[in-house]
Amino acid sequence: MKKPLVIGSLILLILIIPPIRIYMESIMIIHMLIQLPLLIVVGWFIGEFLMDKAPRVFELLNDNGIPGIIVFVAITMFWMLPRTLDEALTFPLYELFKFISLPLVGILLVDSWRKIKVFGRVFIFLNYLSMFGLMGWLYLDSPIQICNNYLLAQQKILGWGFIFITALMVMYVLQYVFTDHSAEEDISE
Amino acid sequence: MSTAIENKKLKSNNKLVSTSLLLGGVLIAVMMIFGILMLLAQGGVIDVSDAAFYQFLTIHGTGMVGAAALAAAGVMWYFLNRYVELSKKIFIWFLGLVLIGVVLVVIGVFSFKYASAWTFLYPLPAISANAWGVTGALLYLFGMLILGTGFLLLYIDTGRAIIKKYGSLGKGLGWDVLSGKKKVSDAPPKAVVASTMVTIVNTTALIAGAAVLIMNIINVINPSFTFDPMLAKNLTYAFGHIFANAIIYMGVIVVYELLPKYANRPWAVSKLFLVAWTMSTAFTLVIYTHHMLMDFAMPKWMLIMGQALSYANGLPVLVVTAYGALMVVYKSGIKWDMASGLAFLSMFGWTVGVVPAVVDATIVVNHVMHNTKWVPGHFHMYMGLGAVVMLFSFTYYLAKIDSNVKESKLDKIAFWCYAIAMFAISAQFLVSGALSTPRRWAIHYPGWMTPAVFGAIAGVFLVIATTIFIIHFVRYLKNRGTVGSGLNEQKPA
Repeated sequence: MKKPLVIGSLILLILIIPPIRIYMESIMIIHMLIQLPLLIVVGWFIGEFLMDKAPRVFELLNDNGIPGIIVFVAITMFWMLPRTLDEALTFPLYELFKFISLPLVGILLVDSWRKIKVFGRVFIFLNYLSMFGLMGWLYLDSPIQICNNYLLAQQKILGWGFIFITALMVMYVLQYVFTDHSAEEDISE
Repeated sequence: MSTAIENKKLKSNNKLVSTSLLLGGVLIAVMMIFGILMLLAQGGVIDVSDAAFYQFLTIHGTGMVGAAALAAAGVMWYFLNRYVELSKKIFIWFLGLVLIGVVLVVIGVFSFKYASAWTFLYPLPAISANAWGVTGALLYLFGMLILGTGFLLLYIDTGRAIIKKYGSLGKGLGWDVLSGKKKVSDAPPKAVVASTMVTIVNTTALIAGAAVLIMNIINVINPSFTFDPMLAKNLTYAFGHIFANAIIYMGVIVVYELLPKYANRPWAVSKLFLVAWTMSTAFTLVIYTHHMLMDFAMPKWMLIMGQALSYANGLPVLVVTAYGALMVVYKSGIKWDMASGLAFLSMFGWTVGVVPAVVDATIVVNHVMHNTKWVPGHFHMYMGLGAVVMLFSFTYYLAKIDSNVKESKLDKIAFWCYAIAMFAISAQFLVSGALSTPRRWAIHYPGWMTPAVFGAIAGVFLVIATTIFIIHFVRYLKNRGTVGSGLNEQKPA
């Protein structure tokens, strides 16, 4: 089952191509809300392949999914900070860390997401909902330029991007809790 | 065999729920003492430094809301667990996180002099004029965040369990019955409807609260990050108002479950009941704007909505519940004891406690009354005679069904002592409000002092009565599992 590995590697390759990488990183909203999530998607695909090839490793390292999801939350929170985004453009080591850490948490996410079940998923989802709302507010409301590499106007656009995602997440929650799930088996703890 | 296992499970659940009730009850009693100290200071009887007064104010508000919510969550969990499959593990996590949060808050307030009141209104946590420092503010804010996370875990679990059993939260509110897809006789039980409502509103409140708490934390750590204060206030009250309000909606489940058993009469779910709870779900989410009627920068339509829907929110569930309770009890030959008596008293407290709130939610009145003690008059009556009484009703109920501990004359005296003292405290606040006494002031002019002293004296009786309630519950905890009344085995009506 090499298909996920191929897809993941292909996306990673596209993201690494210098003109594409530089273009994506030149626009703040694309950097934060497209490039970074795509790197996680890369990890998700590669993770699917690795889980199939070496399930024992995941059992040993991430038995109940909680260690993996904690690393995922920590790394994604790190990359949501304006300063880290800025420094990825200034210091090559940060940039390298970005291209390694985010696919890595993608790998952990795909494994953990299945293991933490509905309860854990909802908890993580709601955490990100409030976090995205807050980040939107932070970027929109900040009266000063908080990144050296991006102008104030770019910050505002990113802020609206976060608010848009928050709104989508709220709509998703609403449709989930108010549509019928009685036929589903998976709503266990 | 299966009954034995079932009973064992019930007993073990009782132990967990008792922990939340005991912790909540004791915290409430301790917070009452801080209330008395504040009233004595305002009445000029004792000397309390201004800094200490505001620390007392902060811990009293935070502690009362937190403790009542903790105990009410225990009550909701107890009854909801009879209809859906809740996770015990999550409840233990909930208790643990709340406890950690409480410890952080207490350390922040008393060791680091944090005193922003429980509303922690931005940008006060960061701008204290050196009354407190960064550590105190962070301890308090992180404490609240952890406490909130505990509650969020609990509500995710209740939501999950309701969706698992009934299909969706809409069905938990009985929308399929309202739309005619299901018969009224197949509607979810009252405890499920109330729990669904609380799950919806409190999850929303906690997400808003988490955002504004983290925002305050960022601002405390680095004050150069500033935020829109009006938006912060909106989020703060979207959290604070809803969370405090939901306590009574959790507590009222006791009334729904107890009174039909005591009166031996059914209290069936009707379409009107379901409509009322759906309306309250929607209104509770949006009426927090009545806390902002004095903020001229707020959009006018939100303020008008705050007034109109506050009127509307006071009515549906309250009328349906209070009227239903009266109908269940009327000429039923009900056997009054502490549990049923307190449940019935709570209906009175809830009904009268709403009146000053509705008055204050009127914009023209609000401009004059909102910063006076009229408002504490409302919430002391509403919470003290309504929500908290429901919680104590449950403690007596649990003691009755799960032990052989008997109620004594002292308990009955405590009942009347509590009711009269709590009423007196609420009344002195309302009178103070009518005298234009400002709220949240450490120092009072002589003309404002008399009601405060009266309130403090009533407070002493209140603490005595509450202590008697708690002693009864502790006696139950020591005798837990000895044969109790058969009420437990009765099917809820």
